[in-house]
Amino acid sequence: MEATSAQEKKPVRHGSKAKPGEVSARVLFTACACLSIVAVFGIIGYILYGSIPAFREIGFFNFLFGSTWTPTYDHFGILPMLVNSIVVTLGAALIGGTVGVFTAIFLAFWCPDRLHLKYNGKNAFLQKTVALINKINLRTIFDQIIKILAGIPSIVYGLFGLEVVVNLLSNVGGDGKGILACSILLAVMILPTVTSLTKNALDAVPKQYYEGALAMGNTKAQAVFRVVVPAARSGIISALILGIGRAIGEAMAVVWVSGNRVLFPSGLFSYIRTMTTNIVMEMGYASGLHRSALIATGLVLLVMVLIITLSLNLVPKEFKGKRGEKVLRGEGAQPVAFRKKGHLSMAAAIFGMVCAALVGIILATIVIYILVQGVGCLTADFLFGEQSVATPTLGPAFLATLELIGITLVIALPLGICAAIYLNEYSKKGSKFVKVIRTFIDALAGVPSIVFGLFGNILFVTALGLRYSVLAGAFTMVLIVLPTIIRSAEEALYAVPMPLREASYGLGAGKVRTIFKIVLPSAFPGIATASILAIGRIIGESAALIFTMGTSFNFSGSPAGAASSLAVLLYVCAGEGLFMDQAYALAVILLGLTLILNLIVYFIERHVRKKR
Amino acid sequence: MHLFSRKKEGAAAPKAEKKDPLEIFDFSGDNAIVIEDVDLYYGDFQALKKINMVVPKLQITAMIGPSGCGKSTLIKTLNRMNDLVEGCRVEGRIEIGGVDIYDRRLDLSALRKNVGMVFQKPNPFPMSVYDNIAYGPRTFGVRSRGALDEIVERSLRQAAMWDELKDRLNKSAMGLSGGQQQRLCIARALAVGPQILLMDEPTSALDPISTGKIEELCGELKKDVTIVMVTHNMQQAARISDKTGFFLLGELIEFGNTDDVFSAPKHPETERYITGRFG
Ligand SMILES: Nc1ncnc2c1ncn2[C@@H]1O[C@H](COP(=O)(O)OP(=O)(O)OP(=O)(O)O)[C@@H](O)[C@H]1O
Ligand SMILES: [Mg+2]
Repeated sequence: MEATSAQEKKPVRHGSKAKPGEVSARVLFTACACLSIVAVFGIIGYILYGSIPAFREIGFFNFLFGSTWTPTYDHFGILPMLVNSIVVTLGAALIGGTVGVFTAIFLAFWCPDRLHLKYNGKNAFLQKTVALINKINLRTIFDQIIKILAGIPSIVYGLFGLEVVVNLLSNVGGDGKGILACSILLAVMILPTVTSLTKNALDAVPKQYYEGALAMGNTKAQAVFRVVVPAARSGIISALILGIGRAIGEAMAVVWVSGNRVLFPSGLFSYIRTMTTNIVMEMGYASGLHRSALIATGLVLLVMVLIITLSLNLVPKEFKGKRGEKVLRGEGAQPVAFRKKGHLSMAAAIFGMVCAALVGIILATIVIYILVQGVGCLTADFLFGEQSVATPTLGPAFLATLELIGITLVIALPLGICAAIYLNEYSKKGSKFVKVIRTFIDALAGVPSIVFGLFGNILFVTALGLRYSVLAGAFTMVLIVLPTIIRSAEEALYAVPMPLREASYGLGAGKVRTIFKIVLPSAFPGIATASILAIGRIIGESAALIFTMGTSFNFSGSPAGAASSLAVLLYVCAGEGLFMDQAYALAVILLGLTLILNLIVYFIERHVRKKR
Repeated sequence: MHLFSRKKEGAAAPKAEKKDPLEIFDFSGDNAIVIEDVDLYYGDFQALKKINMVVPKLQITAMIGPSGCGKSTLIKTLNRMNDLVEGCRVEGRIEIGGVDIYDRRLDLSALRKNVGMVFQKPNPFPMSVYDNIAYGPRTFGVRSRGALDEIVERSLRQAAMWDELKDRLNKSAMGLSGGQQQRLCIARALAVGPQILLMDEPTSALDPISTGKIEELCGELKKDVTIVMVTHNMQQAARISDKTGFFLLGELIEFGNTDDVFSAPKHPETERYITGRFG
């Protein structure tokens, strides 16, 4: 009340002697945070630049709406592929979205912590097994299933699709390839995203809404589907949008199951080609106008994905909870039953259980299939054989992947951590600038791998003259893992209790010292998690590396040399069907690495939780 | 007692007097802290209104008052921990050791070295006991093992913890009991040789025995440092403090010798609060 008169009294005096070290640290952290902005603009800029010849010679309209793509005759119309991409993405959203959302609902409300199996027989082994099963925490298991599904490399899904999904579908129609196969694979790929984000949204709905509905005589299923799910609507929509963004940019999972014909869709089993697979199939040998047309295809993809990502910001956050508020006021929920209803809700709940079971079965099928097919292929010849130009061996790809991981992390970790430090330690709450930075980090995270591949090819391979090399691949990977690292490092910093910082400031330590001596060490487990997630992403990446690191079987060992990473080698081995045994062996190795990395993260997180 | 100044003297005695930037404060006078017309705002909300107060040197000054009256806010302005709060503005003048601490040219590190703080909840760093105490001195460039050993021992002795902890210096501080952790935090604050120690309800999270130990410790410490303590515990204020200030809704209602405030409060609000508290 007296604020105005007091303000007139004296100028506000704050501030203190600025120390040069503190100032330059601040500048450094800010710069790292801005890197995402530079990266996004850089990618748009270079892709646009690479597309210009195509637009100039073909014409923007002919390019976008032309319906024939025959590079040998300089016909470059992408409309069929554009339509196909949209159709399979919608198909994936429909299948994966439904399964994902219902799985999340089941996990959030019905999944029991533990099974309570009973066994009254005498068989000691069965008794022990039952006791063991009853000890397992189901929620943790599902949590892990979803994380592992998210971690499995796209190319492994691709192999699974080619060998299993297509074969199963061929019993239904055609030879199994085409729109339905693509939609199913993409659905599996977006399942983890949709499920985990939907579950977060459901968990965030205030408990009172749920309790309020129950108190009015709703059944559990009614309360969940009539009150909680609508209240979590905005989060669920965001989850679906993110899933769609992922699906439309995915290349490797569908490259072998699309049928690879540039045709408009005409049925569930019609052969198609999507924009992403088009780039993967042809970029390797394209030149001149053809190359530019492919880059322009990437541009279309990039623009679509950016629009999708940015539309996330438009999802209103407010309408969340309107219905819940109504319940709290005593309206909205089902009135105390005059006639007992709720069968529909119950059916939906059961459907949720089916979906969750399906998710478990999918993972189990993939793992078992790959192991059964692949373990026998882990031959000494493949594992320890001399490298050669003609036949694939593990050695060079393994070494190249290690170098790729090393170089990428050495660059990306400091950049990502510094950016996270800016966001968590320096930025002001609600600042516009930070909002912009976050939007760009999201945008960068949404850019499809194949577009990163194009960008890396244009900038690092060609313009900077690095050729196909581990270095070019690593520089590209830095941009890909940066958002992951920033986000998880930020989470880790956020979890460091404020009183520790206060204690440090209270002893006269400056901001930089506090950050490096107190905050970062306390955040170490979280940052380790960030690195492991990044390693997983690097190991699993293929689309971005094919045109930056190359696809050769041999490797000189120098970071300036070309090589296949493990995932890329799998693509090359299975791509022409010549080295299927090696492909399976690689799938086993990639799957094994995924499981190990997940396990490490699990144990780190458990360790941290125990300490709290 | 103040190792840094002593060391500096030893090393640089023959040179002409160059002012140590960490020791800009002059505590030769009787008053440690002079607070003049201080208003404080959190955004639009005024949390402190026209506070005037003089904290005498080498005494214990207690701040009492109901929850939300601004005690923590005031104590945090004294070493500028409020700088961490977004949208916090301070007006008026606070002088510590003759220096206006809201001066633009102030070196925050120097201020906080001289005005230490102990928080409500013990907040040891997740490091060893030794490293906790050495953290402050290391901040100010003390590197040699010998000097650090000396500081650690001196601080622990000052906090009456040496015998308790000398065998577990390298164990994590997180393993100590709550009371031990809080006294460790006091030792840690003492390690940089502060002239003033701010304590915000330092015993509210502790059991009676630990509380007793800390009260006893404060009585010892006031030989060397000026203590400003926020407390909700009237008996505690009455037992250990020399001066008491009573706050209500951001205003300092009454400030004087503890005996006077408790036996013959001038303001009816003070009386009501104290008697209500005593039951
Ligand atoms: N960071 C902040 N932002 C906005 N308002 C604040 C902030 N910190 C404190 N306040 C408000 O300022 C007033 C004084 O708070 P303060 O913490 O100083 O009270 P206190 O006397 O220490 O209370 P307690 O005895 O509960 O610790 C309160 O009304 C509080 O809500
Ligand atoms: Mg307080």
